[in-house]
Amino acid sequence: MAPRRKADAPEPAKAAPVRQSTRKRAAAKTEEPTNEAADDDKAAQPSPAKRPRGRPTAASKLQNGASQKKSIYDVPSDDDAVGGEGRSNKDKDKAEQAHVGDEEEVEQVATTPKRKVKTTTSPVKASGTKNIITPSRATRFTGGETPQWRRNDRSARKKSARALIERMVAGDASDEDEQEELAQEIYDSSQDEDEEEEELGEGAEGRVQEIDESEAAAASPSKKPRGRQKKETALKQKGRARKKSPTPPRDLPPYELYFAQNRPGAAKTSSNTLASLELLTHEEYFSLLHQHKEHHAGDIEYLQSWHTESFPQWSFELSEGFSICLYGYGSKRPLLHKFAKFLYDETPDHQTSKIVIINGYVRSTSIREMLGTIASAVDPSHRLPAGNPSVMLDSLKALLSSHDIDITVIINSVDAVPLRRAGTQTILAQLASHPQIQLICSADTPDFSLLWDSGVRSAFNFVFHDCTTFAPFTVEIDVVDDVHELLGRKARRVGGKEGVTYVLRSLPENAKNLFRLLVTEVLMAIDDEGAVEEFICSSEMAFRTLLKEFHDHQMITSRKDVLGTELLSLPFRREELEAILEDLMA
Amino acid sequence: MADTETLALAETLGDQEHQAAYIFDPAAEAPVSDRPAKRRMIPKKHAVQPEKPKEKHARRFQPLLNGLESSECLQLRQDAFLKSWSRVQDRIDGVLRETNQSTLEAVTGFINECTVQRTDSRIPSALIITGANMASQSLLFGQLSDSLQARARAKVVLLRSGDASNLKAALRRIILEVVANPSDAGEEQDLSLDNDGKRYLNYDFEALRSHLAHHPSPHVIVAFQDSEAFETGLLTDLILLFSSWLDRIPFKLLFGVATSVELFQARLLKSTCQLLYGRQFDVEQADTIVEKIFKTAVAHVDAPLRIGPVSLQMVLDRQRDQAAGVPIFVSSLKYAYMCHFYTNPFSILLADNAPQVALRSEHLEVVRSLSSFRSHVEASLRDKAVSHVQSLLDDDDYLNRQVQEQLESSRSWARRSLRTLQILMCRPGQASTFTQLYVDLLTQGVDGLDQLSDLVSSMRRMDPAEMMSLLNQIVAIIKDGDGSIGLEGCEGESGPSVALLSGIVTEIQTLCREAEEAGRTLRSEYSGQNKIMRTTVIAQKSYTRLVDTIIEYMEALLQCERAEDVWLHEAWLYDFKTPYREVFMPRPRSVVQRALLRPHDYLACSCCKSSKEQIMPTLPATAILYHLYLETGSLINVADLWTAFFGIVSEDEADGLDERTALVMFYRAMSEMRVLGFVKPSRKKVDHIAKLAWL
Repeated sequence: MAPRRKADAPEPAKAAPVRQSTRKRAAAKTEEPTNEAADDDKAAQPSPAKRPRGRPTAASKLQNGASQKKSIYDVPSDDDAVGGEGRSNKDKDKAEQAHVGDEEEVEQVATTPKRKVKTTTSPVKASGTKNIITPSRATRFTGGETPQWRRNDRSARKKSARALIERMVAGDASDEDEQEELAQEIYDSSQDEDEEEEELGEGAEGRVQEIDESEAAAASPSKKPRGRQKKETALKQKGRARKKSPTPPRDLPPYELYFAQNRPGAAKTSSNTLASLELLTHEEYFSLLHQHKEHHAGDIEYLQSWHTESFPQWSFELSEGFSICLYGYGSKRPLLHKFAKFLYDETPDHQTSKIVIINGYVRSTSIREMLGTIASAVDPSHRLPAGNPSVMLDSLKALLSSHDIDITVIINSVDAVPLRRAGTQTILAQLASHPQIQLICSADTPDFSLLWDSGVRSAFNFVFHDCTTFAPFTVEIDVVDDVHELLGRKARRVGGKEGVTYVLRSLPENAKNLFRLLVTEVLMAIDDEGAVEEFICSSEMAFRTLLKEFHDHQMITSRKDVLGTELLSLPFRREELEAILEDLMA
Repeated sequence: MADTETLALAETLGDQEHQAAYIFDPAAEAPVSDRPAKRRMIPKKHAVQPEKPKEKHARRFQPLLNGLESSECLQLRQDAFLKSWSRVQDRIDGVLRETNQSTLEAVTGFINECTVQRTDSRIPSALIITGANMASQSLLFGQLSDSLQARARAKVVLLRSGDASNLKAALRRIILEVVANPSDAGEEQDLSLDNDGKRYLNYDFEALRSHLAHHPSPHVIVAFQDSEAFETGLLTDLILLFSSWLDRIPFKLLFGVATSVELFQARLLKSTCQLLYGRQFDVEQADTIVEKIFKTAVAHVDAPLRIGPVSLQMVLDRQRDQAAGVPIFVSSLKYAYMCHFYTNPFSILLADNAPQVALRSEHLEVVRSLSSFRSHVEASLRDKAVSHVQSLLDDDDYLNRQVQEQLESSRSWARRSLRTLQILMCRPGQASTFTQLYVDLLTQGVDGLDQLSDLVSSMRRMDPAEMMSLLNQIVAIIKDGDGSIGLEGCEGESGPSVALLSGIVTEIQTLCREAEEAGRTLRSEYSGQNKIMRTTVIAQKSYTRLVDTIIEYMEALLQCERAEDVWLHEAWLYDFKTPYREVFMPRPRSVVQRALLRPHDYLACSCCKSSKEQIMPTLPATAILYHLYLETGSLINVADLWTAFFGIVSEDEADGLDERTALVMFYRAMSEMRVLGFVKPSRKKVDHIAKLAWL
């Protein structure tokens, strides 16, 4: 758990003056409450980037103790988890670096970015236009107001909080009752805090711990300036949720956890983005990966050798008509390849027993190609008539029975996307049930058994072996593209500008010219018509071949419109296009 | 991306790893460049090949006893496996053939009979009630297809719902299957081309008609294996089409019905139903078949290997839990055999020529360490058979002889326990199945069984008529045995007991007659006196004496210790939980979860062993991410995840990763999380991903 981790990190001893300085900061911050307003739409989670600001100075053992307590009672939520990890980051420089990036992001979200504001590094003013309702409280901490006065102030705060919720969190916590409750919460807790503040104001250092604890109890996962907390409505929401069930069970069963995390409004995440992080390119990824030394390499090797000892058993099982399915975490491809070698060395006659390896993870894998390859293993001169896979299977079976040959089919990642179609699995099962076919496959996902209904599974006649290897998926996954796709970035094409340059370098001169032309056209189109990114091209044969080349490298994409006219587009951002053009002109 | 292959573990496979499928041939791997040339070489070699002797079962077994096992023993063990299992397999096959035999004959008869009396333009349809077990359906339909092709010269098309998603596909498949029927595989046909040179679409029945004109067949049978899974519309369309072509093509239909004919009928339109001339056929349900197989392969006296109660219970549970079919049951049994012979050095004792096989000293050493040996020795010592024990411990030859003798005793144990079982089965009010009783008997031995005390107490309360029928049953069991479990009659060895029991039966008969003549009812002292009835004291006394005798005798007869208490049961009893559960009922989720939560369990490394659920920076990246993932909500902010991740991996001052390397590891872990199906892209927020699995 993240909070616990934080507790583990050695922290400098607490000193009261340090504490004070944070308070000043806090007070300063509350003078411009608008920042929080902008933050509110980030929901409950205080950004990890913000936290380090207070932390290097204010971090304390006591605080640790407090947050440790909190971790016991707090709802297991991602906010804490993720945020808490952030806090354990001790590298101040990096944290601040991230912090700057985060502020940029805030600006984007608040849609009132002003360059000059950014340079002053006062995020507070950046979004100052945003919150009009909030009454000024510049003087709140300065004087010793009467309780009544404060109460009035609070009721104003209450209203503002409500308005904020309506504006910011509209979809998530729209329930009227909830809001009532929430308002009550704000009222109550701000009262508590004010009392605390008064005590603190007297300079009672001994109280500091208590305050920390109360803060932690309010489920603030980080060291927060106090004044700010009053405005952190979402934060309060959390506090309320906690009060409703003060000790939620720690280890919920998965299904309970599912409902707990999918209840309306449960998903509160920060608005941090990876904008400040330079994403990896393929080149960087692989060069760094190459340099990186896996400190578990020896253990992984050992694990693999341990599995290797089962090879004779597997081969026995295969020979007795069972299919084998290897599951567990880690790539099993190297293991299966070793097994293929083992089988190969074991068989005295390589003409009557052959091994066909199928890579399910290859995106182009098709059942036809698989059957075709198996057929060519049976008889290299034979060509299966193309057509319906089940018909192909029948003719493959006929072919098999007319030859005295055993085929061992090794399937890497039988649960990979290309093979997930039910039809494919049925064909594989029928194939596996053929007496001359032995099938061994690996499955990577934990839910692979859902692929097969009882009929298919009984046709496979599987025995399963736990082959957790911890080996990295080197070829199965296109890591960089996959992650970018996961993040919603453009993937499945040559890596941006560098990739295009790389491809073009290996193409003839007129290809470069053509691409330059394309880019220019598109850029002009953008300039002239705004959003339209396509241009229509009339075609010629040679031209087409070149285009095909671009298409293969996913440097261009094409689609047909309703009239059948082919539209080409370049899957790049404008800046990238300009950069490419610059490169091409150079 | 062949240039990107980097990691130590990865094999250098060249381009092959990015090929969808290829033939593994390390010998030819070096000159991969010219593949066609290589291919042309093979046919020549292939022509030479068949002369070579076939060694299919080369050497699959591994030497046991820490590698001390001699190769003869290994070979013996392997042969013993092949022989034992093939015998069991034959018997199972026999059962399977028989069970569906009656159905097959009935259906074939129906099909044949329908040709004779043309059924007023309705399609003859056999509705085969298969029950819910999908796995056994394919077996049945396979048999049906074979038998119909052989005995009715029919052309059979098996259709599964998966094969035919729409009408066109279904028609195409039907035509293709009929035309490409293996019975006339020799000829080369172009289906789209008629002999007259006319072209047909490949889903046009006209093509089929013209094919049948040249290859006449009395029946074209279309079998819908899982009729429930077919779309109703598709089924209706097909039936309509069949019906309209019925005058030109002799269609017959088979429907596999898992539910009931009524439900099947309710799915179709009335008008469609009227096109069918149906008859219902009931198939033996999978449970009954499994029970039959159980008797012939597991409980049978001649079963070479006795499968113990723990294993059996797991096999049976799996049948129930997974709704597994007959083939699964058979392969479960087979796997038990495989395990036993593969891992147990004493399995050589089950070989046919076992008596001639003297165990070697390395075997005997292990025999002396067996737990059943120890308890045997202890029992012998209690009986003061010191010299016997002495010889067992010191004299290899003596031990060898004892082992051989003991083997025979295993069979007598089986016979005894099965007879007990049979007698218990004829207990009135017997509710549990044979299978269950067998498992219970093996687990507890007869003494622990409730059924025995039940039997005794119910016998006491029985009236003479019930008693006589029970006794007659028991006598029959003792005399004739039971063929289905290979229990032969044993008049020889327990002859007097048969005589004794028959004697008692006649005595009871006499007593009954006397009582009847006297107008009284005969009952024993033990029977409840709830109804006031008068009975002669003398008759009652003598009947009670008889009942006592019977019960005494029964208690003596029904003696059967637990299999585990038999000396040297290790050689013929297989009773393990471990490989079975993992191999057939894997829990991949928890395995993956464990790997990611506690990699230490697998890696056994020193660095990752943490005291409490602390996330060690040395954990594999995916494991770290998984720990973090467990604490997230349904929506995950990748930026925060990355910050957290980086916080952990950079924590260690000495070994901490720099940011870019950490990012590489983060990328890798993220992509793996995706492949594992834990996360997916989300459009809800920028740089967010959605959680998919709650483990």
